Order: sequence, then structure tokens, then C-alpha cells
Amino acid sequence: MKVDGRPAPESASILDAVLALGIHLPHLCKDDNLPPIGACRTCLVEADGRVVAACHTPAAGVSEVLTNSGRVVRLRREVLRLTSRMHGPEPDVAGGPRSGEIWAAYEEHGLERPTFPRRIRDGFDATSPFFEFEEQACILCARCVTACQQLQHIGAIGIAGTATAARVTPGAGATFAGSICTACGSCVAACPTHALRPKPMRDPARAGRYRRQGNGTEDG
Amino acid sequence: MERKTVSTCPFCGVGCGIVVHTRDDRITWVDDDPANPSSRGMLCVKGRFGIPFVQHPDRLTTPLVRRDGELQPASWDEALDLVAERLLDYRGAFGSFASAKATNEDAFVQQKFVRLVMGTNNIDHCTRLCHSPSVEAMLVQLGSGATSNSYIDYEEASCLVVVGCDPDSNHPVIASRMRKAVDDHGTKLVVVNPKRIDLASRADVFLQPAPGTDVALFNGMARAILDEGLEDRGFIAARTEGFEAWRAVVMERTVEEYAQACGVDPHALRLAARLYARPPARRGLPADERPGSCLAWGMGITQHTHGTDNAHALINLALLAGQLGRPGCGISPLRGQNNVQGCGDAGCIPDSLPGYQPYRDDVVARFEEAWHAGIPREPGIKATDMVERIATGEIRAMYIVGENPLLSEPNLAHAGDLFRRLDFLVVQDLFLHETAELADVVLPACSFAEKDGTFTNSERRVQRVRQAVPRVGQSRADWEIICDLARRMAPHVGVDPGQFAYRSAADVFAEMARLTPQLRGISYERLEREGGIQWPCPSPDHPGTRYLYAQSFPRGLGKFVPVRQAAPAAELPDADYPLILNTGRVLYHWHGGTLTRRVQALLDQVSEVPVTIHPGEAERFGIADGDEVVVRSRRGRLTGRAIVTDAVRAGSVFVPFVKLRESAANFLTNNAYDEPSRIPEYKVCAVRVEKKRPRDTALTGGQPTASRDR
Ligand code: SF4
Ligand code: SF4
Ligand code: FES
Repeated sequence: MKVDGRPAPESASILDAVLALGIHLPHLCKDDNLPPIGACRTCLVEADGRVVAACHTPAAGVSEVLTNSGRVVRLRREVLRLTSRMHGPEPDVAGGPRSGEIWAAYEEHGLERPTFPRRIRDGFDATSPFFEFEEQACILCARCVTACQQLQHIGAIGIAGTATAARVTPGAGATFAGSICTACGSCVAACPTHALRPKPMRDPARAGRYRRQGNGTEDG
Repeated sequence: MERKTVSTCPFCGVGCGIVVHTRDDRITWVDDDPANPSSRGMLCVKGRFGIPFVQHPDRLTTPLVRRDGELQPASWDEALDLVAERLLDYRGAFGSFASAKATNEDAFVQQKFVRLVMGTNNIDHCTRLCHSPSVEAMLVQLGSGATSNSYIDYEEASCLVVVGCDPDSNHPVIASRMRKAVDDHGTKLVVVNPKRIDLASRADVFLQPAPGTDVALFNGMARAILDEGLEDRGFIAARTEGFEAWRAVVMERTVEEYAQACGVDPHALRLAARLYARPPARRGLPADERPGSCLAWGMGITQHTHGTDNAHALINLALLAGQLGRPGCGISPLRGQNNVQGCGDAGCIPDSLPGYQPYRDDVVARFEEAWHAGIPREPGIKATDMVERIATGEIRAMYIVGENPLLSEPNLAHAGDLFRRLDFLVVQDLFLHETAELADVVLPACSFAEKDGTFTNSERRVQRVRQAVPRVGQSRADWEIICDLARRMAPHVGVDPGQFAYRSAADVFAEMARLTPQLRGISYERLEREGGIQWPCPSPDHPGTRYLYAQSFPRGLGKFVPVRQAAPAAELPDADYPLILNTGRVLYHWHGGTLTRRVQALLDQVSEVPVTIHPGEAERFGIADGDEVVVRSRRGRLTGRAIVTDAVRAGSVFVPFVKLRESAANFLTNNAYDEPSRIPEYKVCAVRVEKKRPRDTALTGGQPTASRDR
């Protein structure tokens, strides 16, 4: 198989081959750690003339892959524009552990600002002491859901509703604190936007000292 | 500046791979490491969010020396000169605890110091308090005390039997791998626990026996296997001894009698036995492979006055069913601390040298030749006995590294009295904890994130720990501190100070690997290149070992050991103390909480000791969910917050042993011991519970921790 004219090493999926060659290709819903989900379509490439999602198309049997033909770049840009409609207004690259990925993708595709009017979703869940969820930035890639279910086998969060009503949630109407979430943080680590992000690490150097109080109780 | 450091989690024995992200030398985020074969990209809440204790302002930053009754800052030279001078007087009346949270290198140097400079084998560590009965039983029956299988075997097993442990709280990433086996492969799951743990919701069979009746339960399973002819006759004939004598003891009672003794349903007992001995093949099992069963157990088995009997009864089952020495099967005592395996491997146990080598002439000679000095040949005193023998004057000085016995010993009031009687106490640790407060000298050690070294996890995988942040204050690595001390003392005791002149952790490891056959093939270069390696790894070209006992046992034949059910516990409920207390842990706190109490988010999650009580008992004692309650035993009391749930058996109370708001379960627990292993009976004692009088509640208005089991 050749990718953009270069011979590619043997790989399971087209995406693996592309990344092995060091070629940049957005893949917002594909986590190294998880099986392909195929939800975001930001990894579109041309494989022997067909447009496919690279993350879950096997490399076997494909001879020619183009990641940079005018057609796929244009299609990916459209997909990213739709994605940006869901994504938050403020670029906050440092907000989540992996949120650099999405901004890099926008940039590579010449999208400096979200172009469509944003869809307003104002869910905000700060009930966990460890992380928070800001729905505004969620692109419904399902990486968090997959991490919780297929990596940790906990199943504390899912996607409820369909189409424009779809949303990531820890059970219908529940909060993270009120759910079976164990706060393992796998979803936070998997999130490619800053929708799920660690609460700013309360720097203990600046926090109150762990001290002994008058009545002998200890407090933070 | 942004940096990422690949290291190993410092909390539990799973030993997950972590990537520590730092900015300007402060920890900003802890990521999982998808390339780590033990954790495969998973972490739990403690590994991911619990690391900030490292840079907590409470960290000890200078040595402290007691002057005029007060601990006061001192220079390293002052402190170490004092320790060196005082300890020389106590050769022969000295004991030392090593830390299962420190690195292999720290542990190795400490035991070398104790044996070579202090001239005693009185060195031990916390395994005495968690798995010494397992080790004792495995040594007798198999000849080695290690976990036989790997975590991957849980995923490849056709049946998992999880006994007396709560992996969701204590070994969360192992729990995830077990759930994966059940969800993805249809692996059968048997859970045995007096408490209905989270994993029980996925179990095919859940047995909730009365506390302390494990021998009856496992003998009952053995009887059921024999009744149905499910034993592995080939394995028994070829690889074991003592079968007939053992069988005669098991046949003394019927399955029904055994089931009745432990208060479980005999049909469920039979089903569990069947699933363990001959599980149906899991999905995806190659046709030519025999379905395997993994047996995993925790301190529900060991922390009893007959803990060793319990472990014998379990291992007998494994031998009977031949569930050893193949992929997808094996026996695993789930180890608690991150480096409890390594601390033992490195020789911090009184009855053997590094690598579990006996005090045999040829072995001792090899060490003496390497170290150019004599070492004692009589086994030393075990940790729990060291504490008790302060009373008799046999132990007058102690050196305690990374341990807080005044939180972890049973019957804390009694332990506190004993520690106060020591002539000289040195504590080397991160924080000024309960034990350090009594010390004559306190030495500031540095945490895993500030040093290089290795940890060995529960699947015998030796993994690197790398410095991610600068050292806090003047703290130093344990091995460096001890080397410094040893060099001061060595000339006075005829030891070459050069024996403690290591240049780096890699240097220490190289010596340990040379003297320890199962580590001989491992080096820092290999760990750098290949990642973690599982011992035994006898030579540099050996790939490491996934499971043990494929061909034979270290003692040759596996040995059946007949055991009968003894009285369930040393102390049973009566009119004054009508309930049975069971102890364990919570997911959000590590052990006694010395580290996790210093992570605000973890403290937010569970800020008071949760007291889990059955609805029937709650009603009887007028307690409602969320009430503040007092639990009393003959030895002490604690205050906690009631969680009313039928997850615990009627007649019992569950309290994790974390210390929160000055309350800790070990003020209640009993210092009654299991004879062969000298483990205390943490798991059972008699208590009463009452609602706290309302006028006190204003003092402790924390948020309730009710409604969640963990
Ligand atoms: S933190 Fe909670 S929701 Fe996220 S993966 Fe872990 S259990 Fe699931
Ligand atoms: S499971 Fe154990 S080793 Fe893994 S992250 Fe949690 S505490 Fe650390
Ligand atoms: S990465 Fe391929 S569809 Fe999202």
C-alpha cells in the first residue's frame, strides 16, 4: 500500500499506516487505547478512489491512499466546520489533557474560528471533586463513553438522545457525583476537546495546610 | 517548562504505568501509559488524581532531632551522627521496618545495613500484616510465595474466583480487567465475601459466608469437587503429594454440613466448586486449550487467627483442580502496597536473604564473600513480634522507614504504649505521622516522584520509577540516607564503608540482581529498552516469566495440607459487643490515609470514616443512614458516618481502616495472632455501635458519605 505516494509499513488500519509515516491526519474519535469508534469522520481519506474513514478501514486490499487530495481535504474541512459548531467558542488548548488535537486539526484545515453559529448547550457538571464536564465543548465523538465502557468496563456514562438532542451524560439527568462513576479519569484522558477536563489541580503549596485543629480533628 | 516522565504508580500492588506531566517542576496532570502491559492504559482515581501529596506543604524538609522533648530542625550531619552513635549501642536489641512503598533499591540497601552493620536479621515489612499467611502456606505447599499468574491470565481465564477481597476498591485496574473478562469473553465469576462488593453484581455465584468460616467453605468446595469426580487426577498423581491424608479430612463432613457451618446455600457452594474445577470454555478459547480458573484472594483470607489455615484450604483447592501452571489459571494473593513484592524480594524479611534464599551455609557464604563481612544466620524477629518484644526489652531501638505502625498495628492504644518504651526510635518518611511524632530522630525521605529506582508489582513485573520533580527541601532517597548512615557506622563494626558507596540506584540494582537468582537477567539498560520485565528472569537473554509452575514446583511436588475449621475468631460477639466488625478499604483512600488525606479532592470524596451497617442492626440500634455513630470495642472507639445497606451481613459492621478525623479502625481491632504467620486478626472483632449524641455533631459537620458503597 502507498500513502500519498510513499510505501507504507504493514498496518491493521489505514489510519495506523498514515500515522506510522508521520503524516498528520485528524482522528478525533480514535484513541490509541481504544478500538475505533468511527463517529467523528475527521479522518476521511481517499482509498483507491473511495472516501473512507481511515480509522476503521482495514489496510489490507487497499493499494493507493491519498490524505491530501483536494476532495478529501475539502470534505474534512466541512466535517471540521460542523464539528466546530458544537465545540466551544474559546480556543482553550491547555484546558484538557488532549485538547490540543482539535485545535491542530482546525489549524491544518484553515479554520481559524468556528464558522457556523454555535449550537448552545449549557450543561455543566462540576459535581466530581476531580474533573468537570462542560457540554458546550463536547463534539460527541464518544471517546469518553468508549473509555468508560470498553476500557474500564464501568459504563458510568453514555450518549442519550439522538441527532441534535444527543448528549453525553452519566445516566439520565444524573450527575457524575450521583452516578456509579469511580473517578478513574479514563474519560477525561480520552477527551479530545476540553469538554471533560481535570479540575484545576488545587496546588497544595497554595492550599491551606493540613492541620490539627483545637478539637483534635484533622482537616484539609 | 513542560515535561513528561514515564513512571510507575505509587499506590497499590497493581503497579500501573503513569506519565507524570509537570510544568515548571510542578505536577499538572497524571496520564495513563497505554504501552504499559500491566495497566494497558488504565488508571484508577488514586493513580490519576492522588499524586499531589508529593508536593504537599506538610512534607518534611529537614531532619528533626528531639531536643528538650521537642522535635527540632537539624542538619543532616547532626542528625546522622547522632543516629550512628546511638545505634551502635543497640546492636542485638534492634529491629527495623522497611517500606513496601519505597523502591527495591531502598529496600535492598536497608536490609544490607541491618544485616551487615547492625548484625541482626530483625528486618521485616508490612507483608507481615497483609499476606504473611499466604506466603507461609505457599512456601509450605509449593515452595515459593509469589503470585503464580499474570494479569493477562484473568482476561484469559474461563472462571475467576475472587475471595475475601474487593478489587474495585483495592486493586481497581485488576477489577477492570476482570470485568473485561466477564463482559467480553463470558468468563464465569465466583465472588466469596461477607460483604456484597461491587464485583458481586457481575457474579455467576456470590457466596456471603459468616466471617471466619473460610476453611469450612473451601473444604466444602473440595468435598463437592470430590463428590462429582471433578478433580484433576492426572495432576494430583504426577505433581502432588499428601492427597489421601488430606482427602480423609475433607470427607469428614458433607457439603451440606460445610455449607451450614458458613451460612451459605449448599447448591451455590456446589455450583461454585463446579465452575472452579471445570469451567465451561470462555468465548474465544482455542479448542486445544483447557479452560483455566484463576483464584485471587485478599486479606479476608489472611487477617484471621487461622489465616494460614485459610490459605492452605485455598491452595489445596488449586492443587485438587489442577488450576496451576497454564495460561488462564493460577493463584494470586492480591498484594497491597505498590512494592510489597519487591520489598520481600529485596530481602526485607526476617527469615530469608534477598531472593527468599535461606540462611544455608553456601548462600550465606556467597553474601559474605560479596560483602566482605559476616552476617547472622539465625532468622530474625517478625514485625508484629518486634513490637510485642519491646515489652520484654529484647527490642530497644528501632529504625522505621516509610511505615506508620501507630496507624497500621492492631489495637493502637496498646501499640502506642509499647513504642513509647523504646530507648531510641528513628523514623524516615515523607510526613510527620503518628509514629514519627514519637521518634527521637526523624529523617526526611523523598517520594517516588523525586527519585530513580524500581518497583515490582503483583505480577512480579519489575518496572522503572523515574525522577519527575525536584526533591522537596533537603529530602533524600531512602537508600542514600541509609548509605550515609552506614558509612559512618561501618568502621566501628568491621565493615568496609565501600560496601555503601553506590553511585546511583542503577548501581544498587546491579548488586541486587547479581545476588538474587530470579533477577539476575534484569538490568536498568534492559528496563529502559524493553519496559517492565517479570521475574524469574535468570539471564540477560531470558524474556521474563508470565506464569510459574508450568513444569514443577520449587519444592518439587505440590503438597496437600489437611486443615479443619477452627473457631471463627479469637473474639466473638456477646451481649456487650453484639456485632462483628470487618475491616477493609475504600477506593478513595490509600490504606491508613497518610498520603491520601493530603489530597483535597480525595478527602472531599470521603472525609469521615464510613461505617457500613446492615438495615436490621441499624433499626435495632436506632441508627439511620447518614447518622454520626460511635463504634466501640474492648480496646477503643471511633466516630464515623453510618451507611445503612444490606451489602453487609446481618450482625456485622464494615469499617475501612483509613484514619479520618482522628478516627481509625485499628483502635478497635484485636492483637490476637495467627500462629505460623504472626498476622493479627484485623478482620474480626466484637463491637457495638451507637448513635453519637447530638450535642457533639456540631464539632464535625462534614458532608455525609452515605449513598455510595465505596
Ligand atoms: S471517570 Fe467516571 S465516567 Fe469517566 S471513565 Fe472513569 S468511571 Fe467512567
Ligand atoms: S490501580 Fe493501583 S497501581 Fe493502578 S492507578 Fe490505581 S492505585 Fe495506582
Ligand atoms: S477518527 Fe475516524 S471517524 Fe473519528
